[in-house]
This record gives sequence, structure tokens and C-alpha cells, in this order.
Amino acid sequence: MKLVKAIVRPNKVDDVKNALEKIQISGMTVTEVRGHGKQKGHTAIYRGQEYNVSLLPKMEIEVVLPDSIVDDAVKAIIGAARTGEIGDGRIFVIPVGESYRIRTGEKEVF
Amino acid sequence: MAEPQSSAIATGPDPRGVRRARIEAARAELSAASERGDGGRQALKQYSHRMDAIVQQLFAEAGPLTQPVGVFALGGYGRRQLCLHSDIDLLVLFGGPIGSEDERFLHSFLNPIWDLGLTIGHHVREVQEGSNLAEDNPEFLLALTDARIVAGDATLLDEFTGATERTRMRKRTLDALRALIVERHARFNDTLYQLEPDVKEAPGGLRDLLGAQTIAKVTDPALLGQGGSGLRALDEAEEFLLRVRSILHLEAKRHHNMLSHELQERAAARLGFPGSTPRQQVERLMSDYFRHARAIDRSLRWALKAAPTPIGRNLVRSGDEIRFVDLRKAADQPETWLAAFQAALDGGCGVSDEVLACIQQHAGRFAPQDFFPSKTHRDALLALLKPRPGLYARLSEMHDYGMLGQMLPEFKAISCRVVRDFYHKYTVDEHTLLTIRNLERLLEAGPERERFGRLLNELEAPELLVLALLFHDVGKWRDDNHHVESARMARQMFERLQLDDHARGVVEFLVVEHLRMSVAAFRRDTEDPEVVRQFSELVGVEERLKMLCLMTLADVEAVSLETLTPWREDLLWRLYVDTYNHLTLSYGDEVIDPGQPAASALITDLIKQRPPDLSAKEIEAFLQGLPRRYLQLFSGDAVYSHVRRSRGLGPGAIQTWVERKDAEWELTVITRDQPFLFSNISGVLSSFGMDILRGFAFTKLDGLVVDMFHFSDQERFLEMNKGGDAQLIKVLEDVIRGKTDLAVRLKGREEGAFRRRLPGFAPVVHCDNESSRRFTIVEIVAENALGLLYRMSRAMSESGCEVDLVLIATEGQRAIDVFHLTRQGAKLSPEQQVELTTNLQRVLEGRP
Repeated sequence: MKLVKAIVRPNKVDDVKNALEKIQISGMTVTEVRGHGKQKGHTAIYRGQEYNVSLLPKMEIEVVLPDSIVDDAVKAIIGAARTGEIGDGRIFVIPVGESYRIRTGEKEVF
Repeated sequence: MAEPQSSAIATGPDPRGVRRARIEAARAELSAASERGDGGRQALKQYSHRMDAIVQQLFAEAGPLTQPVGVFALGGYGRRQLCLHSDIDLLVLFGGPIGSEDERFLHSFLNPIWDLGLTIGHHVREVQEGSNLAEDNPEFLLALTDARIVAGDATLLDEFTGATERTRMRKRTLDALRALIVERHARFNDTLYQLEPDVKEAPGGLRDLLGAQTIAKVTDPALLGQGGSGLRALDEAEEFLLRVRSILHLEAKRHHNMLSHELQERAAARLGFPGSTPRQQVERLMSDYFRHARAIDRSLRWALKAAPTPIGRNLVRSGDEIRFVDLRKAADQPETWLAAFQAALDGGCGVSDEVLACIQQHAGRFAPQDFFPSKTHRDALLALLKPRPGLYARLSEMHDYGMLGQMLPEFKAISCRVVRDFYHKYTVDEHTLLTIRNLERLLEAGPERERFGRLLNELEAPELLVLALLFHDVGKWRDDNHHVESARMARQMFERLQLDDHARGVVEFLVVEHLRMSVAAFRRDTEDPEVVRQFSELVGVEERLKMLCLMTLADVEAVSLETLTPWREDLLWRLYVDTYNHLTLSYGDEVIDPGQPAASALITDLIKQRPPDLSAKEIEAFLQGLPRRYLQLFSGDAVYSHVRRSRGLGPGAIQTWVERKDAEWELTVITRDQPFLFSNISGVLSSFGMDILRGFAFTKLDGLVVDMFHFSDQERFLEMNKGGDAQLIKVLEDVIRGKTDLAVRLKGREEGAFRRRLPGFAPVVHCDNESSRRFTIVEIVAENALGLLYRMSRAMSESGCEVDLVLIATEGQRAIDVFHLTRQGAKLSPEQQVELTTNLQRVLEGRP
């Protein structure tokens, strides 16, 4: 099992969600986050005064998937979230060792 | 009531003799009552009545009247408590200006009263003087509270007092009364326990009783029954003191009110106080005197403490509540209800339960138009909607008690309306009211929300935003396309409230588009310049952008506690800033081209609705090359006026006019461009002491200039000087044509302004060569000061720059100005920008 964590533009969340649903992936966690990668924020000007926007609003989508569909999921996310401009975001794929169901305490080892 | 028999009436026709006999008979009647110790209310009323008859006779005999005249009794005479040697206070009111015939009448009327040996105090006024009554002598205002008609035209008193602002007059009367009481008590060392008391003036005397009664009369007629000594004790005290006073006048044979040791014995005897010795009788008299004086003193203190403050017609503030003086009257006057809520907002207090109960009981009887019978009432609603702490609470009360729904039936349609969706957690009406609470909270927001709070403070008409919020979801009474239905319902309200075109435009825009900014900010890529450009096109001008931004913030936050996260606020703010920059920095590149599809709809409308004296070609030619925001800023009528005034405008010709816009003024100039034009216009306004608040300057490629300045006339030059606008225009034309030296006119004022200037924030000057294809943009944020715009624009012109476009804004003490400049037709080079920035900094810091 893998944890797929995607940082995308806020306006791309619905597109990513739809793309994942098309390949039968529905359970996911979406979080509002701020950050910067290569984009490193930018300088904005309001009424003649410059101010630095260092942390940009982004959305983080997390989904835990069987290894067999991770590649499809990553392709789907890239296809939906890509604009070709700086700031499109990142996807991290992280191995998941074990998980627990809180309700039952049941442990699942992968 | 039978007249006492008089021998004079029977013996001769001499009117003077008849009058003298009548007055002597009346006096004899009162004297007899006083001797019996019975000179109380009834006897004084009888004597006042006899005096009325004499005054009426004199009035009838005084000769023909050339205009309506009324004679009114004031003071003690007005209260029908005229004592044997009291002054007779009269007010003679004339319906119009007093001429020589009227003066003759006055002599004929007043002289015989003097001849009768009576002491009169008379005031002669014209009705029109009543308009300034609130500023009149406070003792006269107090005397007026007892005024009653004796002879002539009774309606003149209402005309006289009705012309002034009653609340202010009442307040001034009360203030005067309080001051007079303090002053009078001080003369008696602030104690009522005088061994030889003045029954009229001393603490606990008749004047104090009158003071308590006047406070009640002016504020709340029921006041004295609610506390103090109670009405019965006051009644007894008054009767006692009047009887004593009558004896004093009788014994002293003059206007004498001091109950001296000697007179105490006589008064005690006449009033029949028991005791085997005069001393015992006096002790009992004085014991009663102090009992009554204490009762009066207690009631006066109560009245002074508990008297509600008059704050409007039939409205008082009592403690922390606003209430109606006369609930029954208020129940039938729904147009007065709004004033109670307005007063609560102004005073930072609540509306009393009895007012709310009255509204709840009677609201259903009235139709919407009953709440707004006049423009004043319609304007009052808009005034109420200005965001401030307490607005949500007051609107919620109006809603809960049935007033809001009767007044604005569209709002009733969403009362307790449940719309089930994933996000909303409250009924539609409460969601709507919460948006207004969110807005008012911005005014006291901490650092995290300060940026939005500042936007709210900058709005020219924030009440329109609140009105739009009230209506943004009324269409949810139906299940589909609620913004379209809300707009339809809002238009019904526009008609009822007779809103002007500008207000209608703003509110309808906000209602129809209220979801657009959240969609753009949260669901579109706002880093895409095209998204920002399209959004800028939607809002058109900064004011609408600010309103829509605040509306979105308030609306999202009112969905549920969790909906508006700091993350979303950031997204919203970024879209606001990007759009603001686009509107203020890039608009110079977006000029009107009647051939362009984007501009065609607006221009087609203008051409279609044009007046017969204007041709389509003429309008198109005028608009060609103006920034597109020009169409957003001006109504059709204003555009047509500009087209007419620009006809055949050659070099050197100027079209200038000044118009009043509520509390502000507006100067428009249409002319051909020339060096220093903008600085000359702004300098002339400053030379008249005008504070330029906002405005803009547009220059077309063909050199036609349209400049408009909104300014406040703090020295009231235009208001106080008839023809002041023509004088201002004449100076402006002379300055532009080089006939008058502006620097000389401004010298004194500028020096004064510099001397008065307080240390403020450091000015910001920012040059931008990126945002516009054609212009170098200079943004300046500086502390507002007289002549600031003149000095800045002059520095630009002196640096060889052409000032092509200008946006002027003032927000509190900050001037925020954006200039679009060129130099010899091109953008400024980096070196030229540095030179200009240095010059501007020097000017802004007041350095030579």
C-alpha cells in the first residue's frame, strides 16, 4: 500500500477528485495548506507598497492505495492538476507499513 | 363662572374705569380668599380667569389687526397660578413681519395694562423667528412650556414652536432648567431647611416643584407618578405653598415670597394652625412647610435622576433603553418606529421591551409604504443600514418582532426558510442577518482582519452593501436561480424606496453577482491574468470591487462557523489585490473603441437612448479613446452632457461647472490638454480651502481632457457666498489662461498647512513600468494635506511629464493617488523615474 500525497492548485481539487473517481478511487482526505516549492512565493504590490507572499495557498490531497493502482492514480492527478506553469504542485508516493481501524482496533499489515 | 359685581360697570361707560373696576374686583376676590387662608389653586385659577377676561377685552379694543396675532400667557399666569402681585407674562405673536400698524396695535394693547398698575413682562415675536427657537434665551424656552392662548389666533403658537427642531429645543430647555436649579440652590446654600424660607425660590419651594413638573412634561408625563414623593404628596405641597404665598402677597402688599418670622405668625393664624400661642402655631406651620418642601425636594431629585433624555419626536432614552413617550401614539405611527432603532444604534443601547411589544402588536396593521411616507423616512432606512456595532442586534429585533418583514415584505419571504445543502447551517433569514453581523465585526477586527476592516471604512456608501446583503438571498424562497429571483425582488424594493439610479445599480450588481467572487477566488486559477482581467471587467471600478469582496467574506462566513478559513481569506484577498491593481494600473490600456465587441453593448445602449440633439456619430467620436472605465463611472445623462459641452471645443476653450452632491461638491472640467493643467485645477481648489476627496482625470489621444474632482468645502465658501461657484470658475479660467499667478494665491495657505502638519507616516512613492503598455504609473500614498495634489502634480509637470490619467482617492487621513505619466509621448526611463521619485519625496516631505 502507498500513501499518495498531492499538493495542487486550489482550483484543481475538483478536477483531481473527478479524475480519481473515474478510476474508482473515492476515499481521500483534502486539506487546505500553505507553502512554496520552486515557486518560492512572489512579491505583490498594493497601493505602492511591496509585500512578500512567501507561502501560497495550496490544497493537499491524500489517498492510500494498493500498489497496483498507484501509477494510474498518479497519472490521473497529473493529468487533472497540470497547467504547465510554475506552481502546479508536487506528488509524493510514500510506503505505508501498517494501518489500524480506530473503531475496532483491528490492525492491517501490508 | 360669574363675574364679581362692580359698581364701575353700572355707573359709567369709561372703558378705563370699567377695566380698573374689574381688576379691583378680581383682586378683592383673591384677597378675601387669601385672608381666609384659601388662596390656593382654585382661587388663583379664578384670578387668572378674571385676568384673561381683561386681557381679552384689551385685545378686542386695541384696534384693527392687519395680520393674525395671538396673545399667550406664560409662566405662572400660563399655569393659571397668578398671585396677587405676580408679574403678568405675555407672549404676543405676529403671523408675519411686524409693521408700523402692528406697533400701533401693540401700544394700544399694552399701555392700558400698565395704566391698570399691573406689572407685565411681555415678549413680542414674529412666527418665523420660531425657526431659531432652539437657540433662544433658555428662560424664555422654560416659560414657553406653560404657554396657553388668551386672545387671538391660537394656531400661531404651534407654528412658532413647530418650526424648530423640537428635540433640540427640549434638550436645551432641560439643560437650562438643570443649570438654573443648581444656580438657585447655591444661593440658598443648597439646603431647604431655611428658618425664613422663600416659598418660591428656596430649595423645596414652588420653583422646585415647577422644575420637577417641567422635567416630566418635557420628557415623560408619567415620571412623577413613578418615583419621588408621589403625585398626591406633590399635590398637597403645591396647594400648601400657594396658600402661603397668597398670604405673603396679601400681607406684604407687594410681590414678596419670603416667609419671614413676622409673616410666619400671620400665615399660621390665617391658615388656622392650632396652638395656644403664636409660637406653637408657627412651629406647626413650619413643620408642615418642611414636610412639603422635603416632598418637593425628593421628587425633584428623582426627576433629575430618572428623567429620560429626549432624543426625538416621541422618543426618549431612559437608562440603557430607547422608548416611546406615548406608546399609543407610536402604535399608530409606524413611520416613527425606525427612529427608535436608529437612536439605539446611535446611543449604543437597546430598544425597550415595551417598544418591541408595541411593534409586535401593531406591525401587521401596516403596509410597506406606511413606513416610508416621505423621502426623509426613506433616507432614514439607508442611514440605519450603515454598518456599525449593534446593527445585527437591532435588525434581528426588527425581524423577530415583525417590523422588518412588514417594511420589506421580500425579507418576510425567507423568514425561517430552510434550504438543505451540504454547507449552510442556519435558516436563510438568520444567514442573511449574520452576514451583516460579520460586516459590523470587521469594524472592530483585530490584526488578522484589519485589511478587510479598512476596506469597509473606505466605502463611500456602505449602507448599500448592507441593503444588498439583506436582499442577496431573498430569492431563496424559491428553489432555483436564487440570485436572479433576489434581483427581481430587490427591484420591487427600489421602486418603493425610490432609490436613485446609482444606488439601484450598485445594489442590483451586488445581488446578482454575489457568488462570482467566491467562485473566482476559490475555484479559478487566480494566478492566470485572464481570470483577473475578466473579474476586473465584471466589477469595473474599485468601489464595487471592495463591496463585492466584503460581501463575499461576510456571506461565506455566515454559512457556518467552519466555512471561512484563514486560507480562504488569503485567496479572497489575493484576488482583491490583483483585481484592484488591474483596475487602477492597467485601465489606461483599455480604451473605448466603439468597434470592439466588448464595448459595443454599453455604447449601443447610450446611442439608442440618446436625446434628439445628439447624433450617434457625435457620441462615438467623443467616447473613442477614453478609458473604458469612463463608461462605468458616468450615467447616460452625464455622458450626454459631456458630449454637448465638448462640441467644438478648441484650444484654450474651457467648459467648467460645479455641482453640489449631498455634503460634497463636484467640479468637472472639459478642455484641451496643456502643460500644468491638472496641477492648476487642483491648485485652484486648494486655494479656496477645498479638500479634494476623490476624482480622476482622463486625457484622450486627441488631447481632450475630462477631469472630475469631488471635494468638501470645509470653510463653507460655496455655501455662504452666493455666486461663489462662478467666482471659483473665474479664478480657475484665469489661472489656466495664465492671467492669475496660482503660486501667489496658494502661498499663505500652503505655509499654514505646513505649520499645522502633524508628524504622520512616511509617504510611499512607487513607480511601475510593467503594468501598462503605454504609461509609467506612479502610485503615491501620503498623509492628506491641503494642496498635496497640486504639489505632486506640479512636481511631475516640472519634471517634464505629461499627466495623462489620474485616480484620486482619500481614505481617512491617507491620500491614495495613481498617476499615469508619459514624457515626450513615451514611458519614463529608469533614470527619469529615479529623478521623479526624488522630486516627489522632496515635495511630500515639504523640503524646498
